[in-house]
Amino acid sequence: MKKKVIGLIDSDSGNIGSIKKAILKSIVRKPYKLKIIRTKKDFINVDKIILPGQGAFATLINSLKKKKLYNELLKSITDLSLPYLGICVGMQILASYGHENKKIRGMNIIKGDIVKFSKKKLTIPHMGWNSISIKKENKVFKKKDLHLKDFYFVHSYYFKGVKKEDVTATTNYSINYPSIISKNNIYGVQFHPEKSHKIGFKIINNFILKS
Amino acid sequence: MLKVRIIPCLDIIKNKVVKGVKFKNIKTLGDPVLFAKKYSDSGADEICMLDITASHEKRKTFLKTVEAIAKVIDIPLTVGGGVSQLNDITTLLNAGADKISINTAAVLNPNLIKKASIKHGSQCIVVAIDGKRHNKKMIVTIKGGREKTDKTLINWAKKMQAFGAGELLVTSMDTDGVQKGFDKEMLKLINKEVTIPVIASGGVGKLRHFIEGYETNSSGLLAASVFHTSKYSITKVKNYLKRNKIPVRL
Repeated sequence: MKKKVIGLIDSDSGNIGSIKKAILKSIVRKPYKLKIIRTKKDFINVDKIILPGQGAFATLINSLKKKKLYNELLKSITDLSLPYLGICVGMQILASYGHENKKIRGMNIIKGDIVKFSKKKLTIPHMGWNSISIKKENKVFKKKDLHLKDFYFVHSYYFKGVKKEDVTATTNYSINYPSIISKNNIYGVQFHPEKSHKIGFKIINNFILKS
Repeated sequence: MLKVRIIPCLDIIKNKVVKGVKFKNIKTLGDPVLFAKKYSDSGADEICMLDITASHEKRKTFLKTVEAIAKVIDIPLTVGGGVSQLNDITTLLNAGADKISINTAAVLNPNLIKKASIKHGSQCIVVAIDGKRHNKKMIVTIKGGREKTDKTLINWAKKMQAFGAGELLVTSMDTDGVQKGFDKEMLKLINKEVTIPVIASGGVGKLRHFIEGYETNSSGLLAASVFHTSKYSITKVKNYLKRNKIPVRL
């Protein structure tokens, strides 16, 4: 049987070591293989895509564009409808716009804006373990597995104005904001499943096996 | 709700965990990989490891230890000790560190923090500050507390925040290693003045010290001896905090 290919995008924005480790652990003795995507042609034959991202919205988008991965990624997850898991900034770039320093266009797949937490005196970044509340479960994110569980977060910006139907889970940090979003074949998590011990691994595993 | 982070810290010399009192009388405690794995499996929220010799010739051994630890844990790893230039940061991140802690080099060359946070993002730049009381002022010391600087603690903390530090790791040289509790005064003061997260370090000896640390508004509580000697397990500390209505991840 032909193995399905999990494409992990190396955008040069943060290291992919932990996420790679989690994917490899998840596909042991299963009909999947891992492919690291560094150039445009690495997208060939890929079945599912994972994009971890750290740092700034613009940095990730520019890095993907510079490496000529941006358009190919967009095509793969919209025209070809390949399952996509965006982690942290990898989720944020799905938005219509990012407002870090200046307003920058995102992939505009999930309507909404990436904005900074604005409460005065709030500790920023939102860093550490926080719980999620499942609002609308799906085949990747199951309420019985994940509801009220803690995950590791590090971010100063959040996804604002997301349509209710696209919000899978919310987290509270001065406000309730979407910490998991899903729309058809597209999934995004604000936290870092690859840093979130066993429960984080479960998310990566579910995406690979069930998306 | 955001949980308080419990962070065991491994001081490392030649691939061994060590513990000294105020950086003297150093004792060898064991294999850092085994310690790290045990802590990650038993609910530590993050692991911190420091190369406390930070000598040039031993650097390769330390990098191997970082790699070995990153492989066996699946929680965030903060690494520090001997970071003096941008390149050191890149090397450690590639070895599997999630956050890099910078201490003496930040004092000697504050622009390093600016450059590092632009290059790698504030989220992975931790500035470690060793504070100490001197002539009724709180000042910054370097080189493991051996050398005083002309910087006052609060001004320095604010400056590092402005330069792009994503977090501060604050150790009081007045309470470190003697297990009489965190430096509440120093930590409260610093937490009042900065808006980035603060990890409290130095002085844990009893369970109630963790509560006192939480009450300083610090977002992480770091300890070494009480964990390494198995006086308390991570689970015991967390259950104790939970019983005292402090939010922890269990």
